[in-house]
Amino acid sequence: MASEKFNAEYVEIRAQRLFKTMLTLKEDRVEAAKQGIENGVALRVLVNGAWGFASIGTFNPEVLKKALSDACKMAKAASSKIKTPIKLVETKAVEDKVKAKPKKNPADVSAEDKIKMTMEISETILNHDKRVKNCTIDYLDLTGTNFFINNNGTYIEQDKLYVWSRITATATEAGVLAFSREEIGSTAGYEIFDVETPQNVGTQVAKRAIEQLKAKSPKGGAFPVVLGPNVVGVFVHEAFGHLAEADLTLAGSVLMDKMGKKIASESVTFYDDGTIEGAFGSFKYDDEGVPTQKTLLVKDGVVVGLMHNRETAKKFNTEVTGNARAEDFRYEPIVRMRNTFIAPKDHSFEELIEDIKFGYYFKSFRGGQANLDGTFQVGIQEAYEIVKGEIGEPVRDASISGNTLETLHKVEAVGKDFTLWPGRCGKGQTAFVCEGGPHVKVKEVLVGGSA
Amino acid sequence: MAALKQEEMLSFAEYAVAYALKKGSEEAEAYVFQGLTTMVDIDRGQIAKSSKRIDIGLGIRAVLNKAIGFSYTNILDTKTAIEENVLKTLSSAKASKPDRNWKGFPNKRTFSATRNIYDKRILELSSEDLVQVTSVMLDAAETTDKRVFPIQGEVGASYHSRAIANSNGVSGFDEGTMIECSLATIAREGNEVTPVCFEFNGERSYNIDPKWVGKEAAKLAASALHSKIVETKSMSIVFTQFALHELLYYTLMNAVKADYVQRNQSALKDKIGEKVASDAVTICDDGLLEGGMRTWKFDSEGVPQQRTKIIEKGVLQGFIYDNYTANKEGKESTGNAARNAYLSTPNLDVTNFKIMAGKESADALISEVKNGLLVSYLQGAHSSNPASGDFSVVATPAWKIENGKIAHATRGAMIAGNIFEVLKNVSALASNERKVGPLVAPWILVENVKVIGR
Repeated sequence: MASEKFNAEYVEIRAQRLFKTMLTLKEDRVEAAKQGIENGVALRVLVNGAWGFASIGTFNPEVLKKALSDACKMAKAASSKIKTPIKLVETKAVEDKVKAKPKKNPADVSAEDKIKMTMEISETILNHDKRVKNCTIDYLDLTGTNFFINNNGTYIEQDKLYVWSRITATATEAGVLAFSREEIGSTAGYEIFDVETPQNVGTQVAKRAIEQLKAKSPKGGAFPVVLGPNVVGVFVHEAFGHLAEADLTLAGSVLMDKMGKKIASESVTFYDDGTIEGAFGSFKYDDEGVPTQKTLLVKDGVVVGLMHNRETAKKFNTEVTGNARAEDFRYEPIVRMRNTFIAPKDHSFEELIEDIKFGYYFKSFRGGQANLDGTFQVGIQEAYEIVKGEIGEPVRDASISGNTLETLHKVEAVGKDFTLWPGRCGKGQTAFVCEGGPHVKVKEVLVGGSA
Repeated sequence: MAALKQEEMLSFAEYAVAYALKKGSEEAEAYVFQGLTTMVDIDRGQIAKSSKRIDIGLGIRAVLNKAIGFSYTNILDTKTAIEENVLKTLSSAKASKPDRNWKGFPNKRTFSATRNIYDKRILELSSEDLVQVTSVMLDAAETTDKRVFPIQGEVGASYHSRAIANSNGVSGFDEGTMIECSLATIAREGNEVTPVCFEFNGERSYNIDPKWVGKEAAKLAASALHSKIVETKSMSIVFTQFALHELLYYTLMNAVKADYVQRNQSALKDKIGEKVASDAVTICDDGLLEGGMRTWKFDSEGVPQQRTKIIEKGVLQGFIYDNYTANKEGKESTGNAARNAYLSTPNLDVTNFKIMAGKESADALISEVKNGLLVSYLQGAHSSNPASGDFSVVATPAWKIENGKIAHATRGAMIAGNIFEVLKNVSALASNERKVGPLVAPWILVENVKVIGR
C-alpha cells in the first residue's frame, strides 16, 4: 500500500511481542515483583529520499493502516528540505525463523526462584563485612519474538532472550563512602547464574567496596598504566568503537579520513563481533534484516572497516555489516556495536607491569564517555598503584582521559589473556553489548586525581 | 490529538483498582500513561527524518500481606486485557516477600494548582510545521559560521497525560505539553575538529526560539576552535547550566533523596541544620514551578506536588520524599515519586531542582575571574562516585579565562574534586537562570577546583 500510494522507495515493518520480569531488591527488601507485556509495531518508510517513522503499541489493523499512511506523510514532509536524498545499499532477501534455545528459559523459572536467587546475592553482600551498609540488586529478563518484513522480500521471525542483573553496594567507615558495582548479562539463558553464582558475584562486589575504604586518591597527571580487560573493554567501546560507527564517522569523527591508515601501534587489532554464542551483544539478524557477522575494524594498527547499516554502507559504497539495531518498537534502527574487543597477543600480566617504576593498574571501570574529536574519559572503580614493577596500594575514584588516536599509538604491549564483559550502551536508545580484551599496557595516559 | 480521553483513562484506572480488590488484593493502585510525540530530525547537516510515536499503557500495584506486586501492559483494547493484567499483578504479589515497613498507598489530598504546563497550540502542530521550525534552526546555524557542521538535531512536540486511582480514594487526571528543539554541532578548520557542542530550548508552551538555538550552537562550536592545553593547577571555574546539570545529576540530586539518606548512601545524612554549602547557595525542589519541565498537579503516586526547601543560604533544610520513605519517618511525602511512563513502579526523583539565581550578569561573573575556566560541558560525569560525590571528569568544551576575559578554548583538561567541596566553594551566581532537564539554575562561579592539564 505504502509503496503504491505514496511512492515509497522502501518500507519496513517490525512487530514485537515482549515479556519482561523485573525485580529490585534493596538490602533484604523486595521493592516489588514486577512483570510486563509490550506489544508494538514500528513502521519505517523512505519517500523521496527522506525517512518517515511511526511507532504504535497495538496490532490493530485499522490503527496500523493509519500509522503507515502517517509514516509516509511524515517522510514526505521531511523530504521537502532534503539536500542529498537517502539511499540504501542492496541486500539479499532472507526468509528465516530463529528460535532461542536456552538451557534454562527465564520464562519457565518461577518468580519465587528469581527472588530467592537475588536474595542470595544480597545476603552474601551484607554478610561479607559489617561495613557494607547496603546493596541494590536489579534483575531483568526479557523474552519474546520479533517479526520483520520489508518490501525487498525479507521475512524474519526471531526470538529475543536477555537475562541481566546489576548489583551495587556501598561501604562506609569513618566518613568514607565507597561504591562498587557489577553487571551480568547473557543471551543464552538463565543458566548464566550457574556460572555467575550469587556467592561469586556477591563476594566480588562486597570485597571491592571494602577494599576501596582504605584506598587513596590518585595523583593527577600523565602516567604509564596497565588496563585490565574490563577497562580495555570500555576503552575499546567508548574511545574507539563509537568513532567507528559509520553514522558518527560521517558526522565528523576523527576516523573520517583514516580508512586504510595507521591509527594505532602494530599490536592493536579490533573486532566487533555479533556471532559469539550467548554473549550479551549477539544476535542472528539485525533490525534491518541483515545477518550479523564478525567485523574486523583495525588490523595491526590500520583501520580496515567500520560498522554499518544499509544507509551508511551506501554512503561508503561498501557492504552492510549487520550493525543496525533498535531497542524496541519505539525506536528506529541505528548503527550500534555488538561485542567489541581488542584481540589478544602474547604478553603475561607480569611482563606488562615489570618495567613500570610508578604507574597505575586500572582493573575495573565505573563509566566511560567519548567525544567525536577523540577525547575519551573512563571512570575507574577499582585501581592499584604499580610501584617498581609490582602491584601496590588500592586507589579510589580515579579516571583516565586522553585523545583516542594518540593513546592508541602509545599502546606498548598487549596481553595473552581474554575476557568479555556485558554492558549497556546509550545512544538515544539502549543496546545490550559486550566489550573486552586482554590486559594492555599504555605508555602514558592522563590520570584525573584530586591528590 | 489525544487517543484516550480523560474519562477513558480514569475509568481504566478505577476499573483496575476495583477489579484488584474484588480478586483479593488488600490495596491497589493503577496508573495510566499516554505519550504522543511528533518529531523532526536533522542528520548530518540536513532534515532527514520525521517520526510519530504513540505509547499508551497501564501499570498496576497490588498488595498481599505487605508484599507488593506490579504488572504493566500496553494492551488496553478490552476489559479482559485489564483484568488479565490485574491477575498478573496479584500473582507477582504472591511471589514477592512481605515488606515490614509497608504502610499503604497515599491518602487522598487536594491536588496542587499549576500554571503554564499545557498549550493547545503544541497539539495543533503538524509535521510540516515542525519541519519549518527545524529548518529555521538549521539555517541559523549554517549562516552563522561556515566552519560549523550541524551533525544532529531535533524538534519534538509532545503531549503527556496521566490518570491515577488507588484504593484510598485517590483519583486524578493531568495533562501537559512539551516542545523542544536542540542542535549538536562541530566546527572544523584545517586538521582541527572541535568537541561536540550543543544548544537546546525546551518549554511547556509554544515559545521556543529555534533561531537562537541554531545560532548559539554554531557560535559555541566556532569558539571551541584553536584550542590549547592548560596547566595543572587549582583555579576558579564558571560552570554553565549544562555542565552543572551533569555534575549534580549523579551526585547532589541523589544525595537529597530520602531513600539514599535512609540507606546510608548519602553524604548529607545527619547534616540537616548544618552548613553544607556557601552562603550564596539556596536550592529548592519546586514541583510547581510555572512552566517547569517536571511540573504536574500530582506525582506518580497521586500525591500533590509541592515546593520543598533543600538548602537555604548554605544550610541544609531537608530531603525529598515519596510515600514509602516518608512513612518510614512518620512524615508526609513531598510529592517526589516519578515513573518511567507506565513501565515502572514509582521511584524517588527530583522535580524542578532550582538553584536561586544571583544578581550579576554572566559577563560580570567572568570578569571576576583572574585565572580560570569557563566549562560548558562535562564528559564522564556519570562515572562519579554516587555515594561520596567524588568526581574526575573532562571539561569539554571549555575556555580559559585570564584577567576577566575569555582567552582561548582548551583541550582535554580534566577537573577533579568532590561535589560537596564544590558547593562550599561557590562564590557567586549569575542572573542568567534557565531550565536544563530537571535543573533550573544560572551560571555559577566556584573557587579552587583542581584542573589537570598536562
